[in-house]
Amino acid sequence: MGTDSKSNEELSRVVAKIQGGVLAVVCGLMGGLGLFIMTIWLLLEGGEQVGSHLQLLSNFFIGYSVTWKGSLLGLFYGALTGGVLGWTIGFIYNRVVGIRGR
Amino acid sequence: MASHPVVVIGAGPAGLTAAYELGKNSSSSLILEAGKQVGGISQTVNYRDFRFDIGGHRFFSKVPMVTELWNEILGDNFLLRPRISRIHYNQHFFDYPLKATNALAGLGVVEALLVCFSYAKTKVFPNAQEDNFEQWVINRFGYRLYQIFFKTYTEKVWGISCTEISADWAAQRIKNLSLKEAVRNALLGQRGGKKGEIVTSLIEQFHYPRLGPGMMWERCEELVAGFGSQTLKGIKVERIRHRHGLVDCVSGRASSGEHVEFEGSDFVSTMPLRELIEAMDPQPPAKVVEAALGLRYRDYLTVVLVVNCEDVFPDNWIYIHSPEVKMGRIQNYKNWSPYMVPDPSRTSLGLEYFLWDKDDEWTWSNDRLIEFGTRECAQLGLINPRDVEDGTVVRMEKAYPVYDHHYQDHVRTIREYLETFSNLQTIGRNGLHRYNNQDHSMVTGVYAARNIMGETHHDVWAVNTEKEYHEEGRATSVNVGDRMVPMRVKEYVDELPMENEEELIEIVFAKLDPVALGVAVGTVSGLLILIGTVILVLKGGPVVGPNLSLLGNFLIGFQVTWGGSLVGFLEGGIGGFAIGYSGASLRNWSMKAYAQFIRWREEANRRRNLLD
Repeated sequence: MGTDSKSNEELSRVVAKIQGGVLAVVCGLMGGLGLFIMTIWLLLEGGEQVGSHLQLLSNFFIGYSVTWKGSLLGLFYGALTGGVLGWTIGFIYNRVVGIRGR
Repeated sequence: MASHPVVVIGAGPAGLTAAYELGKNSSSSLILEAGKQVGGISQTVNYRDFRFDIGGHRFFSKVPMVTELWNEILGDNFLLRPRISRIHYNQHFFDYPLKATNALAGLGVVEALLVCFSYAKTKVFPNAQEDNFEQWVINRFGYRLYQIFFKTYTEKVWGISCTEISADWAAQRIKNLSLKEAVRNALLGQRGGKKGEIVTSLIEQFHYPRLGPGMMWERCEELVAGFGSQTLKGIKVERIRHRHGLVDCVSGRASSGEHVEFEGSDFVSTMPLRELIEAMDPQPPAKVVEAALGLRYRDYLTVVLVVNCEDVFPDNWIYIHSPEVKMGRIQNYKNWSPYMVPDPSRTSLGLEYFLWDKDDEWTWSNDRLIEFGTRECAQLGLINPRDVEDGTVVRMEKAYPVYDHHYQDHVRTIREYLETFSNLQTIGRNGLHRYNNQDHSMVTGVYAARNIMGETHHDVWAVNTEKEYHEEGRATSVNVGDRMVPMRVKEYVDELPMENEEELIEIVFAKLDPVALGVAVGTVSGLLILIGTVILVLKGGPVVGPNLSLLGNFLIGFQVTWGGSLVGFLEGGIGGFAIGYSGASLRNWSMKAYAQFIRWREEANRRRNLLD
């Protein structure tokens, strides 16, 4: 394939940048709502030992438990962690793209 | 000897458009037309108030400048007409553009199966070479469909074997679309139509002047006269005198036999290149003359039958593939415009024959041709011969420039020679030896006029070729339909500027950098494991992190210890990199696959119109 046909195939020469803020919001929403829903789900299911595995998150999220109150804390922690992860991925990605594009 | 600032040879669409553009800019010209009527191959002949075209001319252009010109010249004299066309083959009618179900049903079960096998075989074992038309079509349709729907008709039109026809002819009509062009057409629509509206298909309807395409050029002639220009008909140019790289005079013969000469400062020729080179005085170098003599043209003859029948068939035109008749196509002019016939109870049919001027039929008398055409029509079951009341014949020499294997070399040689003249430009279908539609010819006319007016140089030879030049001089590969035209970016008035569309597609389809996403996801994954492990180690306890240590099943050597946190960072990072890299690659691949699917679908749609 010659240069001409190669460039003809090119749909876009632009390398996408990630908007860190947007990715932070998306990941934050997913993380927060995810943990919130999982906690509620286990509470509604009930049983003798409610959410013994999910409960282990309390090692990292101070005060979190598989309770109604814990679900709200989970919403907060999940959103915070997701947001930080999303923003960090966006930040690192953009920096690497910048370095590689020099 | 009369002197004029600009002498235009030929009053077809290219020549008249050049004169019109010059006139609009206060520059008068003299137009010399060999025939009795203006319009060239786009003229409309009037025979006892039955009007007919030299072929059919749908008014459709992707060039906004051309649609604006059409509107300027004819205003609201356009009709929007439905398109119906079919192929006649083996006593059957097939919808055209081809529809798979209709075609396969018409062919019968056995033939349909053979067609499918033949198509599948071609897809598995395509022709490695695509030098000629036969190879080009077989690679896209399979051998049997080629034989049925392309071979006989194409050979009737061009008079040579499909293996002798350059693949350029097909490729010029069905250009390889760039991915970006295909996506733009699919997402933003194709620009075109008489009023520049977004058009997704020219298959179903088209614009047509109320009294045929000749109406456009007769009106243009009037407007050009209003600008102070003059059109002289019946002037056959025989000599083009030149000195020191400048043409100074053309001479020829009027229909009365009188010798005429015209001086000018600039000359624009739409003459066939072969005739132009023969007319140059002094004669060009031998190799140029030889090249000119090597160019071939197909001649066209139409037999018009006036039939005492209100509805003969519903089509605008029918392609006659059946090899048992010589007719190539048949037009029903009242289906193009009801105003083409003076009496709605009558029908005028145009039986089109594609010939060489050396063929016997070319010299037959009109009566003999009318009788021959009537017999062929009856043979096809289209009319009752007793209904034919009247008829006439029109011959058009050099209607089609032939794309054989040598034409490109010949044209290149001639072009190099012609480019040594600073005040001579060749334009139009025959002036460039290119199978242009009238819109392309008009663009070349506008370009020639603007070159004379001293604007930035426009390359008339670049019109309707693969590489077009925007006004900015940027080479761009564009594709805008069945024949290529330049996209004049600055001509868009009420449309989204092309640059923005380009940017939009660039942004929407921007690639993710797999390495960057790999590094980002890898770093975050590694850090997550590192931080999680460190927190558990710091908290301590009799059994530290029994659940997190299960990650050791996947991360070799991982434990919830200080050392394990580094192993987790490293291996989690590598795993994250792989996930990020694969995700970005998969996303990029999906976007490209989507665009390729769009292109494949559009190209398949365009191939259906190959015969037009």
